[in-house]
Amino acid sequence: MTNKRRSRLELIYDILLSIQNKGGTIKPTHLMYKSNLSHKLLNNYLEELIGKELILIEEIPSRKKKVPSKVINLTDKGSGFLAEYRRMREFTDAFGL
Amino acid sequence: MYQLFFTPQWFNGFDLVFEGIILIIALLIAAYSWKIYKFSRENKFAYFSIAFVTIALSFIVKIFTHSVLYFFSVREAAATVLAPLTGTGLQFADLFYRSAFFIQMFLMLTALLLIFFIAQKSRERLTKLHEVSQMALFVYLIFLISFVANFNYVVFYLTSTVILGLIVVQYYKNYLNANCNKNTFNVLLGFLFILIGNLFFVFVYLYNQLYVIGEVFMLIGFLILLRTYQKSKRVQS
Repeated sequence: MTNKRRSRLELIYDILLSIQNKGGTIKPTHLMYKSNLSHKLLNNYLEELIGKELILIEEIPSRKKKVPSKVINLTDKGSGFLAEYRRMREFTDAFGL
Repeated sequence: MYQLFFTPQWFNGFDLVFEGIILIIALLIAAYSWKIYKFSRENKFAYFSIAFVTIALSFIVKIFTHSVLYFFSVREAAATVLAPLTGTGLQFADLFYRSAFFIQMFLMLTALLLIFFIAQKSRERLTKLHEVSQMALFVYLIFLISFVANFNYVVFYLTSTVILGLIVVQYYKNYLNANCNKNTFNVLLGFLFILIGNLFFVFVYLYNQLYVIGEVFMLIGFLILLRTYQKSKRVQS
């Protein structure tokens, strides 16, 4: 792993890729570890991704807890973005951006 | 009529087609870069997009001015439209051509300088105040060069050649940093062709057929950039 600071676009890609690698559904805590982000930063990004309809939050009733647990789902638009990101990456790398 | 330099008669019109193609390529690259900016909100993509839109605008002005110069019917139409401004006695005044050439040169130099800055700078540096003030100084110099170049066109092409040379050096570094990736090589090659094209334009005053060679090199350069753009769009998910 390199020490290079990730750009916004790379962070979004890492978040979505983590969800995809988990079969399209992931728990918020797992996502925090997988994407290597702080709780606050991850929440900021998640809000934005929900707004862009790339992910959606689903509440699943839990037997053990009173409050339902949350899971994050990758939408079709989110999967499409992952494909588009690879194209964008090719473009930005080529033009040294 | 005022002209910056004289181009071969037989090539009149062909250069407009070449520039029309370059204009479309520049807009395609600008649009894609803007799309990336809309998602990432990173300034460098917006600047890159603006640079290519500025190139496109420069070519629009060039196409318009040259159309007026080459074709009588366009000249007549432009005369009618501009009559209220220039007056009937001032049809096709030098002022019109000089203004058009000035705008064309100013836009092109600004765009090239912006590309140089983006290719050179590391992330976020463009947002810093001293970078902005540095750019303001360069814009002033470009303004000055564009004005002076109206009296000696070589100044414009020499300046654009120098900036393009710096851009090529940056893209060569990028090529080495990207482990000699083919797409980065294509971008380097594209800008190298544009640079060679500009170099030919510098010497048009010696032999006007060099204008044709310069235009061909410019077109090939932009077509290589288009090819890179298309290849990156075709990457499999």
